[in-house]
Amino acid sequence: MTVQENSGKPGIIDCDVHPIPKSLDQIRQYMPKFWRDRFRGGGRGLFYGNPFHGMRQDAIPPDGGPAGSDPNFVRKQLIEEYNIKKAILIPRENSCQFPDLDFGNAIASAYNEWIADTWIGPDNPDGVFKSSIVINHSDPIAAAKEIDRWAGHKHIVQVTTDSGARFLMGHRNFHPIFEACCRHNLPLAIHPGLDGIGINILPSPGNPSHYIEWHTCMSLSFMAHLVSLLTEGTFERYPDLRIVLVEGSSTWIVPLMWRLDMEYKALRYEIPWVKKRPSEYLRDHVRLTTQPLERPDNDEDFLHMLRMMDAEHLLMFSSDYPHWDFDNPKAAFPKLPEKLYNRIFFENAEQFYRLD
Amino acid sequence: MGKHKIGTTSEIQPGQRKIVFLEGLSIGVFNVNGRFYAMKNVCPHQQAPLCKVTGTTLPSKPGEFLYGREGEIIRCPWHGWEFDLTDGRSIFDPHKCWVKTYDVEVEKAEEPPRAETFPVEVVEEHIFVHIHR
Repeated sequence: MTVQENSGKPGIIDCDVHPIPKSLDQIRQYMPKFWRDRFRGGGRGLFYGNPFHGMRQDAIPPDGGPAGSDPNFVRKQLIEEYNIKKAILIPRENSCQFPDLDFGNAIASAYNEWIADTWIGPDNPDGVFKSSIVINHSDPIAAAKEIDRWAGHKHIVQVTTDSGARFLMGHRNFHPIFEACCRHNLPLAIHPGLDGIGINILPSPGNPSHYIEWHTCMSLSFMAHLVSLLTEGTFERYPDLRIVLVEGSSTWIVPLMWRLDMEYKALRYEIPWVKKRPSEYLRDHVRLTTQPLERPDNDEDFLHMLRMMDAEHLLMFSSDYPHWDFDNPKAAFPKLPEKLYNRIFFENAEQFYRLD
Repeated sequence: MGKHKIGTTSEIQPGQRKIVFLEGLSIGVFNVNGRFYAMKNVCPHQQAPLCKVTGTTLPSKPGEFLYGREGEIIRCPWHGWEFDLTDGRSIFDPHKCWVKTYDVEVEKAEEPPRAETFPVEVVEEHIFVHIHR
């Protein structure tokens, strides 16, 4: 059954779906022997993980493999179930936390080859899956080469990397990556997960003791990166650069931009390359995905928040399937006015990713 | 609403559950240490199917872990919200968040009709039927 036959309503776009390899061997086969023998997977590893389940417990495919590893089961449990017309895949290769940059680069390359050979290759006859080039941002020159390598693929819509980093995203260290993104007109999606892991710096002045703390405070990374991108004049230097903040939630952006705009009025002198209020760069250059939706008890408060954050232009729906904090598109939001619903659930993503 | 027979007690042993579909609703029927409970199989958060049973950590002092309520707590397989199986109340906010529960009655099964039978003894291939009244 195709998405269009499923219902009379237009299909939605899911901006964060995670394809999982069936096994590490599936990735190893794309690595040169030296790295193949060393690669053991892992990201946050033993440090910060959901103590009960990292994936939805009902997402194990009936034909075997871990949750999120079977494209056809994803079609059944996600695409058809929720009338999704395009799913933007964000593979999580976990490469930027390694001190050995060559190792990180090898992992990123192998994941890109795997995705091209599977989810956006023979497993994508209906074209429902679009994907992201993974890069090891700890080696920006190598990352730029990886972007150049894959940018022409017809199902690639963006580049993705982790918010865990040694530098704030506005730092000139990342310029080769931004140049490559602009060369190919590909947005850069920043997704959390390796904050404070390996060589990456924590967004908090100390290690959170519990997963709940670490998970809650992931938004701190995004706040810091966004302020950096805006005040370093990244969007003046690279007018074609577009950034997506994925899985960092969104409501924090309201008081943050109030504060940054306030500071700008006083301190513009220090950053004269920022030629307008920082918040005025968001519509042209920044998007946020919705999951995990920070929904308060009072729906009216939440609708006010959506208005204050310019959700009509900035927000794009995401589910984070198959992770445990998956947002059900039919249940995560309170009832929205139709125009706003359409913007968040498909129009903003269609325009941003040029999917039509 | 009506009364529905959903099975026999031998089908659901302590710690087990059966999911049934009654009057358009998916309902989980649980055997908790010999007592039966029924709960709507839909999480009030985002409508996930509630299906796992476990115990949980009880409210405690900082740094202290007290484990209990084994078999009495449902944990949603998506976001992990916990609900008390015996009354449907959420653990994190029992006053404002709960799952609908249903009354469960256990009734003795009727004896199926049988023909009257009598003991039989075989001696040297002659068959005797003993009639005791």
